[in-house]
Amino acid sequence: MVRRSRVPLVMAVALLAVLLAAAAFSAVTATSRASERNGRPAGEVLIGDNLVMVLLTSAGIYSPSDRAGIVAERLNDAMSAGLQAEQLSARSLPGGEGVYAGERLIVSVYGPEANAHGSTPAALADSWRDSIGRVLFPGEALPEPEPPAAEQPAETPGPAESAPPSGELDWTGTAQKWVPIFSLETEGAYLGAAQIAGPTAQVNKVKGVAELRLNFQNIGRIYAYVPTATISITKLDRVQGVSVWATGDIRLAKF
Amino acid sequence: MSKRIPKVTLVLLVALVCVMAAGSALWALDLGDILKVGGVAFLVNQYGGKIDSFITSALGQRNAAAVGATKVVPILSLGGGGYIGAAQVVGNPDSVKKVKAVFQLEGRIGSFRPKILVPTYVDKVQGTPERAKGVGVSAVIEFRI
Repeated sequence: MVRRSRVPLVMAVALLAVLLAAAAFSAVTATSRASERNGRPAGEVLIGDNLVMVLLTSAGIYSPSDRAGIVAERLNDAMSAGLQAEQLSARSLPGGEGVYAGERLIVSVYGPEANAHGSTPAALADSWRDSIGRVLFPGEALPEPEPPAAEQPAETPGPAESAPPSGELDWTGTAQKWVPIFSLETEGAYLGAAQIAGPTAQVNKVKGVAELRLNFQNIGRIYAYVPTATISITKLDRVQGVSVWATGDIRLAKF
Repeated sequence: MSKRIPKVTLVLLVALVCVMAAGSALWALDLGDILKVGGVAFLVNQYGGKIDSFITSALGQRNAAAVGATKVVPILSLGGGGYIGAAQVVGNPDSVKKVKAVFQLEGRIGSFRPKILVPTYVDKVQGTPERAKGVGVSAVIEFRI
């Protein structure tokens, strides 16, 4: 009887173990669900079956469960991109703290959310980061938290320099408001009001909306909404991240 | 193997059927209109990236371009005569990715023109269209149906 070498068998078992481990890791996904805490609506974020975060406050139009859904999506995106333990950090962002996966913001923590937990933004962000780390990277050391701003060296960039680029505005703190809209069209000039929405800091900058519009009778029309930081017809100073939801206007002049 | 109908086309067709069934349309819809709506929606889905670049480039000449998360999706405008075309949406990057179409409801009361823009996505769990939160409209190119 021919005796087979054990090497291929050991390799096959090892390969199977690696595949099973990879499958187990890749099967972990973040989910969210609505819940209640002390009779108030809350949003829970889970990784697998593990609860890693409870959001208690709304932000702009987002309820706690909406925010939890956004956080779960961001976590899934980060895990799909190959998140590593050393990339998970809690650090300052303008007006609060944030939990980051590399440069990707997972969740922001401002005063109201921290107060609802009886904590501070920095402590709550650290706690959430640790919760995520314990589930995704059990036994692995996470990066040390950043020192408080007062202890940072003088060369630390200020808020304007450390703010994320416009494409990565913090959308968990959002606002909406009505502002004047001025529409210049082929038939005339219109004036009215527009409802805008976006990150709170950006919405606060908007003074009005300029609408540029071309109508082609019985064929079609082209128009653009430009939320601007100045009331000026000659210069458009667009505020990024802000969009238009609704408008209402009346004709001022007929061309 | 049968090819699945794109969700956005399905949503637009369902919306059209609803409008027709309600009998509230001020304009008559025929097969040509339905083909036009489906055709434009298909083209916008196919060439959305190029249209997005075109809009950004055109507005960029006046420093008015939206930077960051933008996307071009089909838009169906009702209440002002009926238009179909392409809309550039801007907003929360997570929500922008999900948006499949924009519905615009227009009206006219004397000289007053109210308008509501509803960026929409399809809820994967329930399979129903939902308003995309944190997303609005930046620019529109549309044709009369």
